[in-house]
Amino acid sequence: MRIYLLRQLALLIITLFLLTIFAFCLSYWFPGNPITNSSGIFSDDTVRFAEAAAARGYDANIFVQYWHYLGHLFRGDWGISLLDADPVFEQLQLRFGATLEIAVLAMLIALVPGIALGVLAALNFRKPIDHTILSMSLSGYSIPVFWFAQIAILLVAVRWEMLPIAGQINPLFNIEPITGSILLDIFISQPDNMSLALRSAVRHITLPVLVLSVMPMMLLIRLTRSSMLDVLDKNYITSAYAKGLSTRSVIWSHAIPNAMQNVIRELGSLLSLLITNTMIIEVIFSWPGIGSWLIRSIYERDYPVIQGGLLLIAALILCVHVALNLFHAWRYPQVRKDLNASS
Amino acid sequence: MNKLIKYLSASIALLTVSACSPAPETEQSLNGLLYCAEGNPESFNPQLVTSGTTLDMTAAQLYDRLIEFDADNQQFTAALATSWEISNDGLSYRFQLRDDVQFHSTDWFQPSRVMNAADVVFSFERWLNSEHPYHHVSGRGYPFFSASGLTQLIQSVRAIDEYLVEIRIYKQDSSFLANLASDFAIILSAEYGQQLLTNNQAELIDTQPIGTGPFQFSQFRKDVLVRYLRHPNYWREIAASEQLVFRIAQSDHKRMLMLLTQDCDISPYPPAKDIQWLRDKPDINLQDTISPNTAFWAFNTDRPPFDDPLVRQALAHAVNRNAILNTVYFDHAVRADSILPNTSWAHHGTPSAYRYDPEKARELLREAGYPNGFSMQIWALPVQRAYNPNARLMAERIQADLSAVGVQAGIVSYEWSTFRRRLADGEHDSVLIGWSADHADPDNFFRPLLSCAAKQSGNNRAQWCDPMFDELLSAAISSNDPEVRKAYYRQAQEHLALEVPLLPIAHSVRFQAARDNIIGLELEPFGGIQLRKVSRQKPANEEQ
Repeated sequence: MRIYLLRQLALLIITLFLLTIFAFCLSYWFPGNPITNSSGIFSDDTVRFAEAAAARGYDANIFVQYWHYLGHLFRGDWGISLLDADPVFEQLQLRFGATLEIAVLAMLIALVPGIALGVLAALNFRKPIDHTILSMSLSGYSIPVFWFAQIAILLVAVRWEMLPIAGQINPLFNIEPITGSILLDIFISQPDNMSLALRSAVRHITLPVLVLSVMPMMLLIRLTRSSMLDVLDKNYITSAYAKGLSTRSVIWSHAIPNAMQNVIRELGSLLSLLITNTMIIEVIFSWPGIGSWLIRSIYERDYPVIQGGLLLIAALILCVHVALNLFHAWRYPQVRKDLNASS
Repeated sequence: MNKLIKYLSASIALLTVSACSPAPETEQSLNGLLYCAEGNPESFNPQLVTSGTTLDMTAAQLYDRLIEFDADNQQFTAALATSWEISNDGLSYRFQLRDDVQFHSTDWFQPSRVMNAADVVFSFERWLNSEHPYHHVSGRGYPFFSASGLTQLIQSVRAIDEYLVEIRIYKQDSSFLANLASDFAIILSAEYGQQLLTNNQAELIDTQPIGTGPFQFSQFRKDVLVRYLRHPNYWREIAASEQLVFRIAQSDHKRMLMLLTQDCDISPYPPAKDIQWLRDKPDINLQDTISPNTAFWAFNTDRPPFDDPLVRQALAHAVNRNAILNTVYFDHAVRADSILPNTSWAHHGTPSAYRYDPEKARELLREAGYPNGFSMQIWALPVQRAYNPNARLMAERIQADLSAVGVQAGIVSYEWSTFRRRLADGEHDSVLIGWSADHADPDNFFRPLLSCAAKQSGNNRAQWCDPMFDELLSAAISSNDPEVRKAYYRQAQEHLALEVPLLPIAHSVRFQAARDNIIGLELEPFGGIQLRKVSRQKPANEEQ
């Protein structure tokens, strides 16, 4: 396990390192001046431009430049936006919290019914329940998230007037953004009318999170179902039954834990899908996360923001993947054995 | 297993129910106002901008002017100045100021005195005098003042005593008072300016503003909101709402939905195609006003082939404006046959110059040496304005019309502040944009838009500078006789019909939608929106 841990961490560090090289090179590959592209300072602001060039070592060779780039990266100086001169790192911090908030909540909401329905479908293999769940998941999976969001807005918000459709909270509550996640911010700032503010925040977060959770939920159903079917075919399940264990204890203590092994491995790839969907949802629900900001930066060619966003999202997905791999290996000894055997 | 599922579904159902139950009365009774704005403000100082979005969000909320214009009675009324005198030669104006006007007191500035003549001099000198310590701060220039010629007109601004200011001008100008009453001529705090200079933070004057207006600045989150709080010591009746929040939502469709779901109380510029539908909604209150405005298509006359009047005439004849009125404005507009709206007394339309005639357009293109056409760009403004509810759609219509005469057009759009910056730099071939009147004087549609001074200040979208046209305009403003002025403006409009630096497209009705529990809201024909008297009616069933 220790070797595996070291290997995974080494892999993580090397990939992150390659990623920073790539992001660094981008400032050369993008059209325009590399100093402007990485710092966000235009060359007509001569004084600050010269300062930025010196601070980033642009008079020396490319290795020194990369070294300075890493220095800036770790100091949290990610340059400023070309559009509005906001510091990229601060903005990312603030907006990333908001993005993570709905992504994580959606994932949590997707997990429980996703897995439960998947198990249910597998247990009723080729029975009407199975068919119903399967066709539901297929149609749910094939509906694009933006369409689903529009329908949800039209029905739940406009027709039934149940929920608001924009932002994190009624802006008349003056909540200072600190983490970017509205629920956390409310707890941190402790406003006078806290229960009211919380209520408003929950009402605002419900629709985006529910819409966002549909796709991972549907995928989870299908994943769990097929993995469960595999496991139910295994000899140890038959032998467990043969030993006289009740169906309940076979399912709970043998089938489900083993079926989860595959599901957990796939969670990582679910996450990248989820992040992409989150960006779309953010634009639709005016959620102040990184999504709308990154999308704008792409068509306005705001290079420092693109670089920062790329780095952050790629690093997030990488770290989650590695963490899942480690968890997987720690939880399931046979995975470790396979890994060791193959090396 | 089944039990687990039951638990889970029950808890999810519970969560959904608790979240979906209608808002408690208390959230509705928070004393504040939600206004859905169509873009980010470029600055918090109206002196620096000409965009209506920024003016709406700043001018009447954060600041006051010396005098104001009362559109109902067609006269100037007192504001920060209680009275004013004009000398017999018409070259000197004396303004008597109020002595009870408090500036905002905030975390970052506490005023030690009331507003006086020093503040007026400070505010005027900032855009007037290039030696002024704040003149170059923010580095945007003062587009309205330089374009409307005020910077050349004013000789001096000085304080006679603590509450008396004298402004001397070089020559008579019939639009002078109207310009002072416009949203741009606001009064800043000299004391705050001094404090920032001492702390070496001069640029904060435009991002953490201090004014005398009914609201004071509290917070700005780009793309999310601008928050103002009530100014408790306002010199008029204090604002009806404790809090004023501008939510930023670029899409007009989104703003309309937000109005329906009570995410905003007031939404300007609803989509033209939904006007009728909104009118039928019982809980929405739709207001409209004939606000003098013009949407136009300006050609960058600095760039070939648009430097050739024949090409510009050809393009003008190629566009079917009646179809645009129908598809873009849903007939909530009239066709523009002059840059000056048809409601102005100096309006003189020249329909034949802008007639839809593709045959003639092709002929003119041949004559200009482009028998096979050329390719060009149309820049479409990215936000909805009173004069243009959907510039993108308009650009697509024009694109189709142009391809019929052999001109290939591409459509370009950027985020609003980028768009304006690039426009001012003259990077466009042609642009679909427009102008809403800041005051009732016809000069407001000529000098700020098409004069040589406007070109220098980056507000002349056609980059067009014609000395003869400028002479006509100065002749028109140096007279006070409406008949004389009318004659000059007629000549000016005929000149425009020949030169076609821009194609006037439509004069539109301005709409604004609000929830029906919003009281005190009025839609003014001129300038930015006033929100100090607006508030949300308390729910009838509130216990207290």
